[in-house]
Amino acid sequence: MKVISVIKNLDMKKPEISFATKNFKRKGYMPKLYSVPIEKWQTILKDLSSDYQVFAPIYAEEFLEYEKITPENAAKISYNVCKPTSPLKAFMFPIKENVIRDKDSKKQRLIFGVPACDLSALDLLDKIFLDEDFLDIYYQQNRENTVLIGTDCYNFQDNCHCTTYGIEPVAQKNCDIAQSFAHDEMIFSPLTPKGETFLEKFKSELAEIQNLPDEVQEKRDEIKKGINEKNKDLPDAEKTRRGILKPEEDIWKKHAKTCVSCGACAVICPTCHCFLLIDKENFEKIKNWDSCQYPAFERVAAGEDPLKKIYNRLKNRYLCKFVHKSDMFGEIACTGCGRCITACIGKIDKNEVIIEVCK
Amino acid sequence: MPGKNIYKPLKYKLDKVEEETPLIKTFFISSDQEFEFKTGQFVEVTIDGIGEAPYTPSSSPYIKDKMELTIMKAGYVTDKMHNLKDGEILGIRGPFGRGYPVEDFYGKELLILGGGVGLAPLRCLILALLEEADKFEKINILFGAKTPSDFIYKDWYEKLAKEKNVNLLRSVDKAEGDWNESEGVVTVLLDKVDVNWNEVVSVVCGPPIMMKFGTLTLLEKGCKEENVYLSMEKNMSCGLGKCGHCALGDYFVCKDGPVFTYDEIKNHPDIWI
Repeated sequence: MKVISVIKNLDMKKPEISFATKNFKRKGYMPKLYSVPIEKWQTILKDLSSDYQVFAPIYAEEFLEYEKITPENAAKISYNVCKPTSPLKAFMFPIKENVIRDKDSKKQRLIFGVPACDLSALDLLDKIFLDEDFLDIYYQQNRENTVLIGTDCYNFQDNCHCTTYGIEPVAQKNCDIAQSFAHDEMIFSPLTPKGETFLEKFKSELAEIQNLPDEVQEKRDEIKKGINEKNKDLPDAEKTRRGILKPEEDIWKKHAKTCVSCGACAVICPTCHCFLLIDKENFEKIKNWDSCQYPAFERVAAGEDPLKKIYNRLKNRYLCKFVHKSDMFGEIACTGCGRCITACIGKIDKNEVIIEVCK
Repeated sequence: MPGKNIYKPLKYKLDKVEEETPLIKTFFISSDQEFEFKTGQFVEVTIDGIGEAPYTPSSSPYIKDKMELTIMKAGYVTDKMHNLKDGEILGIRGPFGRGYPVEDFYGKELLILGGGVGLAPLRCLILALLEEADKFEKINILFGAKTPSDFIYKDWYEKLAKEKNVNLLRSVDKAEGDWNESEGVVTVLLDKVDVNWNEVVSVVCGPPIMMKFGTLTLLEKGCKEENVYLSMEKNMSCGLGKCGHCALGDYFVCKDGPVFTYDEIKNHPDIWI
């Protein structure tokens, strides 16, 4: 493999808005492909942690989580494994955030191992928080300050169903670099100027390759087929919408029986964006995650509450995700990650509910 | 504005507080920075360290250096607000939302139906309409309150009744003292007003039950669904279309409202809650 040093000749503009994680749209542009042997990559990674705050998926017992990477734990990263227990959104929209503070200058973040379900969720989160009318400067800063490395999933979990909603478990959008893996080689493909800039830091270690190894494409096809096969009875987004819109109440009441309003489904969801501004002294405000599954989410001062009953709240979550968000933003608010199913202590299986309402 | 922090309130000094009724007070705020808002839009008011809630100003949008907010004591934030004294500092963000489309009302006959503290945003609307009263065919104002002493802005009505193009009718659920106007829920006034129901533009604001029966009576009279304007009350936090609290079907009431035509929201099951 020929070691290349031509990244600087790519004739790309300097990043203007550095959170521009949308793919290059220049006509005829094909993302370049670079490979680096895993051992060499481990060395590079150790150096990176001095320039960046690096996060990547590491298993702690059975839970995969985005962990802060240090030279000590860098070897424990799980590459191309589906999917961290917590969603990516917490990096852009933290659980609690003081939104009156001055913007802070932090080290740039590098996040590895972001699966397509979480990357896809950025479509909706960006529309909400980067809305031109009311730009959330903290979300914007968090987005700008992060280099996202998307990952192909080389396995899938019981509740994975991204393909049902047209998402392929492949890093191809909303990330700065797409990362695959074959023959003990890391394969990187820069999708944005920010991704290019990042790869330039260790360009002498990279070899340009012309095509993705066949194994990568085979693995992608196999995973996609597997997820499709497992979810063959699951209605697509359009059928789901129609099912949820039925005036049916009994199915919702039945499933809501085990709901304890814990909000885990919303916390763990890559697209749930609801929050509450909590006031502190000196006119400070904390933007704190909130959920329509909690009692009193919609209650007004006089006491009226459209979501008073648990089954109303349960149904509201599905209406929001498959009907209202689709009408408001042109896309559903579910990326098929299945985390809400895994997280539910009441064992409410979102997909079973959907199959039932669609019957 | 780039770099502007949408969550950060500006601080204003409270000039004075006036009691309208035992549960309702008007808060007077002034500033050397101009208050720019359209009638029907709302602002988010912060009580330091306590909380934040949305209110539609009750003063005229033509007055730029002062703003009045009429607020009923109904919950945690408003309870604290009612304890505020002259000179204390409030935080204000906004204005937010879609107000009344006054220009669409030009040349039309108007019917403004209000009850209780719902008169607050309607006062703002009426003051705006009166700035260009000639542009409307007639302004019918139908106001209700529980008892005569429950009317807010007690000094306003005598002057309002004399305004050009204005037909003011008032009703109370229960007459007291020397009350010589109508008695009954505010919808009784709809039988006492002579309008072309097919054409009239109606604006309704008040408690949910009054909004519901007011709207349904207007529709029965023949008012068109797209000509009934409602100012919706919802739980709100950010006011910016992000926090999700005020979702009403496909709308965020804070950003897409708070003013909607009945036609726009009629298919949503929860509008009167």
